[in-house]
Amino acid sequence: MSVEAPYSEILKLFDALIVQVDSVTQYRIIGVVPSWYPSDISPGQSSIEPLEFVQKSFFLQCFLPEAEEFWQTHNQGTLPSGLWSEPNLVGDENYLEATALVQDDQRYLIIRSYQSELITLQPVLQKAREDHLAHRHERDAHKHQLAESEQIRDDVTAVLDHLELAMVMIDENNVVTYASPTVRHVFGIDTQRFVGRLWPHVLPLTAEHIRQVQEQRALPEGRRTSVVLSLKKPQKSWLEIEIEVHDDPRDCRRTILFLKDRTEIEDLRRQLIGQAHFEKLIGKSPAMQDLYQKIQEIAPVDVPVLIEGETGTGKELVAQALHRLSTRKGMPFVALNCAGLTDSLLGSQLFGHKRGSFTGAVSDHEGFFEAAEGGILFLDEIGDMPLTIQTTLLRVLQEGEIIRLGESRPRKVDVRVFAATHQNLQDMVDTGSFRSDLLYRIRVARLYLPPLRERREDIPLLSEAFFGQARAVTSKHDVREISPDAMQTLLQYHWPGNVRELKSTFEYALIHCHGPHIQSSDLPQEIHGSPAVFVSPRSSTRDEREEILAALEQTRGKRVLAAKLLGMSRSTFYRRLSELGISPEECSQ
Amino acid sequence: MKEKSVIQKKICMLGGFAVGKTSLVKRFVTGQFSEKYHTTIGVKIDQKSLCIDSTNVLLVLWDVYGEDDFQKVRASYLQGSAGYLLMVDGTRKETLDVARQLRTLALQTMGPVPYALVVNKHDLFESWQVEPEMYQDLASQACLVIESSAKTGEGVELAFVALAREMLKVSKI
Ligand SMILES: Nc1nc2c(ncn2[C@@H]2O[C@H](COP(=O)(O)OP(=O)(O)OP(=O)(O)O)[C@@H](O)[C@H]2O)c(=O)[nH]1
Ligand SMILES: [Mg+2]
Repeated sequence: MSVEAPYSEILKLFDALIVQVDSVTQYRIIGVVPSWYPSDISPGQSSIEPLEFVQKSFFLQCFLPEAEEFWQTHNQGTLPSGLWSEPNLVGDENYLEATALVQDDQRYLIIRSYQSELITLQPVLQKAREDHLAHRHERDAHKHQLAESEQIRDDVTAVLDHLELAMVMIDENNVVTYASPTVRHVFGIDTQRFVGRLWPHVLPLTAEHIRQVQEQRALPEGRRTSVVLSLKKPQKSWLEIEIEVHDDPRDCRRTILFLKDRTEIEDLRRQLIGQAHFEKLIGKSPAMQDLYQKIQEIAPVDVPVLIEGETGTGKELVAQALHRLSTRKGMPFVALNCAGLTDSLLGSQLFGHKRGSFTGAVSDHEGFFEAAEGGILFLDEIGDMPLTIQTTLLRVLQEGEIIRLGESRPRKVDVRVFAATHQNLQDMVDTGSFRSDLLYRIRVARLYLPPLRERREDIPLLSEAFFGQARAVTSKHDVREISPDAMQTLLQYHWPGNVRELKSTFEYALIHCHGPHIQSSDLPQEIHGSPAVFVSPRSSTRDEREEILAALEQTRGKRVLAAKLLGMSRSTFYRRLSELGISPEECSQ
Repeated sequence: MKEKSVIQKKICMLGGFAVGKTSLVKRFVTGQFSEKYHTTIGVKIDQKSLCIDSTNVLLVLWDVYGEDDFQKVRASYLQGSAGYLLMVDGTRKETLDVARQLRTLALQTMGPVPYALVVNKHDLFESWQVEPEMYQDLASQACLVIESSAKTGEGVELAFVALAREMLKVSKI
């Protein structure tokens, strides 16, 4: 259908397909056919019927029922379809939009191409969406990075926490920039408020501690030592803290403090030392543990104590320990060995004498009892005390008074007596050489010191201690340790002289030792657990020449072995061979 | 254009923008994929013939523009659809919310037609932000839930065929 000018010209401008819909099957194109309309002849002309065009479009097939409804229900107005594109009858694709129009019962379907508009419109939308995606991607990446670094931080914190490593980071202005969670466990204070504040204000340290830490900070990293300090916690317990001062590897103006809670370690160390040593006594064997326990129980009770044990077991050390733990600590500790003293000498030593009371008593003399006033009198080898003195001692203990020899005036004394013996006093009571009533007096409390052979497990510990002491005494600092071989020898020996003998063994060994280790051959010959003939205590009285020859015989002339057997160093052995005139022939016989 | 024996079915591709609707159709129809994003305007219609259980079906695929805050999907595009693919981009969890809105729209305009929930870009699984627990509501009503990749082709054919089969089943009832 043709349209009058100028409308036809105007419609041309819109390049639209205008179809008048007379009925469902009657479609008429009004005006010119648009340029985009499928054509198998030439543009502007069409051999394709509008009905066919509509029917073969999937989109319009869907839109038409909607349009139909609109036409029927409206007198005028438009209903747009929205943009679509699909291959048309000849395979071209176009962005189109359909509009259903109704005007005075006239129905129209207008289809326009938006191809050219889209060329400008599409990139705008495209850009907006791409930007959106890019921003989103960036945001995700940042989030991921953040989550990752938070994860790393959490992991590091967890590791620090797990290691019980308390860490405080400080910037160049002394402001805390980070405090690990363990700091809270260590100090028992909230670390939340640490960050942003000056470290000396937040860490519960004394001015002295702070000074020490500052001192370390001022030193170059390699020259620093850690600061160890004890802190009193509010709950009365003590805290041992070790503070290591490090530079922040990223910026040396900043500092990282590692705070290590050493309380437990210190406690354990103390326990360990406490078990291996008690006062000056050394040993961690059950027998010694038992002794330490008893000393602690007996010491504070103000009664006499009898200390029994073989010679050389350290009875005086026990007496000293008792003294230090007693209520008389700080008062005198006077020791007297009763062995080998005559009646009168022992009596005057103990109780004092008046000038002229016996030959040689040229002046008044205060006895040990008076000297020990308020403190302890330690009577060693009380089994050797003559019976007459025992009688006097008993009276003194009963009455708390002494009378100096040659005087008649009693003097009040307040002394606690510790006695020691290696003898069996009960047997002596039975044979009448010790007063039973005195025994009961001095034996109110009893302590027994085991011989060394009954606590061999303490030999290494004692050896280390005596080795250290002997090394200091002899100044042989290049002797560094006891060889396993020597230790084996020490462990096998029966130690009749007990701890005292072990101590002198080390003095001997240090003098004889020439290398960095104490060898078995550096030990005195009686220590060597070889045939009894050589280790017998009396062997020293045997003719040395005979001994050497016997040893050589036993080792079939092997001089090194013979020297070892005799506990002599090789050089000593060779020297003795020549000194004693033992010829090589004699050696190999 | 269509034989008597061929059943024609309209399927809408629904989902947020850039979830891969166009790419999925392209992979299904032509077997190709392009990394380049070319956002769809309006609706782009494609078709693909299938033979499902000896029934010839012509699937008319309506690749609808991706919905976002500025462009809501036109309800009229959805009319007459026998089913739809509801698509989510596995790498963007917010596309689940768009899918939810579109599902509501689909229910209003198409009624309870079958749909397949397609979680796309499975080749980028490393950077996925969605977990099955997050889309249980959408999955529970879907005839099929599938993780797909328009890039590798994974799950593409299956998504369309399974949905088509379901649509045929529904139309026979
Ligand atoms: N790696 C990967 N990329 C994909 C996949 N599917 C689509 N893409 C990419 O995602 C972007 C968007 O894909 P389209 O198919 O255009 O997405 P759409 O859903 O049609 O987007 P709109 O038309 O804007 O709604 C393009 O860059 C595609 O190459 C996929 O499975 N894997
Ligand atoms: Mg698209």
